[in-house]
Formats: sequence, structure tokens, C-alpha cells
Amino acid sequence: MKLTSKNRFNEIMGLIAPVALIGMLASNSAAAREPFTPAELKAQEKALLASVDHGRDLWHGSKPSMSSNGLACGNCHPDAAASNPQTFPKFQANLGKVIPIRDMINWCIMVPQMGEALDVNGDDMTAMEAYAFYMYRGITIEPGLATRQTGPVKVKSGPGFPKKGSGIGYDK
Amino acid sequence: MTDFDKMSRRDFFTISGKAGLATVMASAVGINFGMVQVAEAAVGKGKVTPFRFAILTDAHLFSQADHKFDAMLAKAVDDVNSMSPMPDFVLYCGDIAQNGTADQLEKGKKILSKLKMPIHFIPGEHDWYLDMGAAWRGNFGAPTWSFDHKGVHFIGMNSILVKDFWTPAGLSAKERMGVMEMLESPIAGPWGVQAEQLDWLKKDVKNLSPDTPVVVFTHSPLWDYYPRWNFQTSDAPEIREILSKFERVMSFHGHVHQTLYNKIGNMGSVGTLSTSWPWPYPDIKLPYPQYQMNRSDPGNFEDGEGSQFIDLESNFTGTHHYQPFGDMLTPTMKNGFKV
Repeated sequence: MKLTSKNRFNEIMGLIAPVALIGMLASNSAAAREPFTPAELKAQEKALLASVDHGRDLWHGSKPSMSSNGLACGNCHPDAAASNPQTFPKFQANLGKVIPIRDMINWCIMVPQMGEALDVNGDDMTAMEAYAFYMYRGITIEPGLATRQTGPVKVKSGPGFPKKGSGIGYDK
Repeated sequence: MTDFDKMSRRDFFTISGKAGLATVMASAVGINFGMVQVAEAAVGKGKVTPFRFAILTDAHLFSQADHKFDAMLAKAVDDVNSMSPMPDFVLYCGDIAQNGTADQLEKGKKILSKLKMPIHFIPGEHDWYLDMGAAWRGNFGAPTWSFDHKGVHFIGMNSILVKDFWTPAGLSAKERMGVMEMLESPIAGPWGVQAEQLDWLKKDVKNLSPDTPVVVFTHSPLWDYYPRWNFQTSDAPEIREILSKFERVMSFHGHVHQTLYNKIGNMGSVGTLSTSWPWPYPDIKLPYPQYQMNRSDPGNFEDGEGSQFIDLESNFTGTHHYQPFGDMLTPTMKNGFKV
């Protein structure tokens, strides 16, 4: 068999990797992460929910540059309904290609809302995605399904639904 | 503070008035706490003269000049004016304004003045909570009323009244409006018509015979659809109980911005298309899923909006026709359906 540079690389890695793995396990390497402490987990959750809350505010018009006609994401997508983050990336007919949800968010900001697009790598976009995905947590990921309307996570409703709290629709 | 202002009979005719309205309102004989009351109605089975009425709702007009929602409402007005036969009158089911400002309400009134037939109004929450309905009443009159037309008893009520959450919280009028503008706001809680209108309704229908055809208009549905988005009226059970003596009641409502049908007891309930944007369906099992419209195309801004009209027959059967701007109706709804 003729050895190419690629399969020669694979051959060498095949010899080295098992040895390295055995060495790491045997030495109980300091590179392995200890389980997070309850305090660390609490801090992580707090940071996540802060981003979700910020996303909820942006979703409902807290950043004026996102709209020049008064419309906000929440006008058409209350509780992020019908935003369907679990179906992205998918082919978006009005854009003619497969896109991630951040591109759809920016399309909605620029076209129906006639606003300025968010920086796709910025904290605001992350917050928008955090809110949408949080409202769809636990729902099966099904990339590519564009025709079926799906709702967000059910939240408590009717007499007695939360009068206070974060307002992002999760019941704790 | 009461939610009903006193209003004279003359005021009511002035606000609602157009050619032909005097006939529509001929049996309105009294005023009770600003609510137009019918004392004795000459209505009953076999007395309905077939006619058509139309419904427009939820324009959500912004203050910005030449906003696209202005054009959408104007388009719906043109559609209604182009109907053949023409509707005898139009019912507006609330939310003319987005932020409840006087200029938004006046803009809506101006656009709707192009209608060739009389129009009656009930308010939505977007019209109301900036000044607790002062500008709305100044433009459109009493939010609670009834009248008879060609043998049918029509009722309109204000279904978006909530308990005072703003005073204890120290909110400004604009902050109060902001809370109510958000569909999924967790602060205000469920709304309804409240005790004063329930009392009015009891009196309004007291002397009507059970075979009287009754049509009732509210901004929100008279059944428990999805309370989180106030797709409900908290005292709907009491309303249905008051109206339960009638053989058949038709209920039409705004607020949901979607096609929707339900039947509870003697009441058939129909949701209406807005002229602004479609709301998604909440994640619940619809009682009649065949009346769920196709998902609207986000690339077509007119898709999912429109107007509607109802043809009433002599035996008080009604055929409801959605008249969408785009093609979003399922076969069940394409040619109208019985209410």
C-alpha cells in the first residue's frame, strides 16, 4: 500500500493516542475538570437567565435601533411562539438558502421592523437566541422543518398566572 | 373610577352616525350609565330579514405617518366597500391604536370614515389604558351598547377591564399602557367585562324572548382559549349563563388575529382576522382545528390579515366568510362556514 502523507499521519496518531490516553487515566491528570460546585452552577444559571432576560427585553423593543416603525419581535412572536429555534439551521424560502436562526432574527429586524441588524457575534444576538431557545427548551430538535407551526414551552396561565417574577415565561 | 362615562343619546348618534344608522338604531330607546339600552325589542324567530354585516378589527395603528398598517386598514375598508351586496353596517372589534394615543385613534377614525355604511365600535386594550378610554370614548362613544336590526339583537361590550395594578405599583399612564401592550405580560392578569357590564347585560336581555336571535361582540373570546395571552374573558361563564336562555347566540371577537371557531352550548364563537399582523396559534389542542388558517409567509407582509363578513338568513343561520389579503384559508373556510 502506498503511503500518502495523510494516512502516514493517521498511522502515527493511531500509535500515540492510546498511549497518551492510558497515561492520562493512570495519572488522574489535573487536566480533568472537577464537578462544578453548587455555587458555580448557581452563578452559571444566573448568567444564563440574565442573558435570557436581556433577550426578552430586546424581543419586546428595548433597543430602539432594532425598529424604525414601532414593531418588535414580540408583535408576531409572543413568548417567542412560531420562532421555532429548534428547526434551525433550515432552508428559508424568502432568503433562498440554509440559514441559522441568527440570520432569520436579523431578517425580521431589517424587513418587517425596518431596523438595523444586530452584530451576529455580539452579546445582544446571543441574548436573543438565548431567549428563543430557552422558551423552546425540551422540544425536539428538528432541523429543516419549516412548514409546521410549533409553540413554545407551555407556561402557567389563567387566573393565578405569575403576577411578578422574571416575566420570561418560565415557572419555578 | 367607573369605566363608563355618561353620554347623551344625541352624542351616540353623532359618533356613530351616518346615513342609515337611524334605521339601525330605531329601537334604541334609553341610556343607562352611558350604555345604550334597548327596552323592548321587536325581534324573534321568523322575523329576521336576511342581511350582511362586516367586521374589521385590530389595526394597531402607530403614530408614524404613512405607516404600513395605515395602508392595510385602508385596503380592508376598500374591500368592504367593494362587497356585493353591501353590508348593512360594520362592527369594529377593538385595538384601532397600538399605544392608545389620541392621534392614533383619530387616524383610525379618519380611515374608517371612508366606509360607505354605518360602523359601531368596541374597544381593545391598546385603545384604552393610556387614558382609561377617555380619547376612545371621545371619538367613538359608549363602549357598551345594544341595538336591533332586521330582527336581530346586537350587543357590544368592553371585555378588556382589569383590576387596578398600576396604582399600588406607582406606574405612570405610559407605563400602564406599556404593560397592557405586551400580549404575554405577566403583570395585569386576566381581563373581563366586570360586574357593572354583567348587570347591564342582565337588564338588556331581560325582556327578550328565548327565540330572539342574538349576536354579541367583544374584543376577547367568550371562552377560555389561552389565558396567558388574554385569549379569554374572565367572566365569560357568567355572560354565557345570562345568554343561555336564548336558542342560539353568535359571538364574534377580535384580539386573536387569526381564524378560529368554537361552539359552547348555544353559543357559536368566531375569531377574526386583523389588518395588522397574525398571531401564532398557542400550543393547545383547538376544539375545531379545521378552522386553523395556514401559517403565514413572513416574506409576504399582507399574508394572514384581512376582513370578514357574515350573511344572516331568515332562520338566523349565519355564514361567516373570511376575506384575507393573501391565500391562507384551508378548504373548510374557503367558501364560508355556518356559525
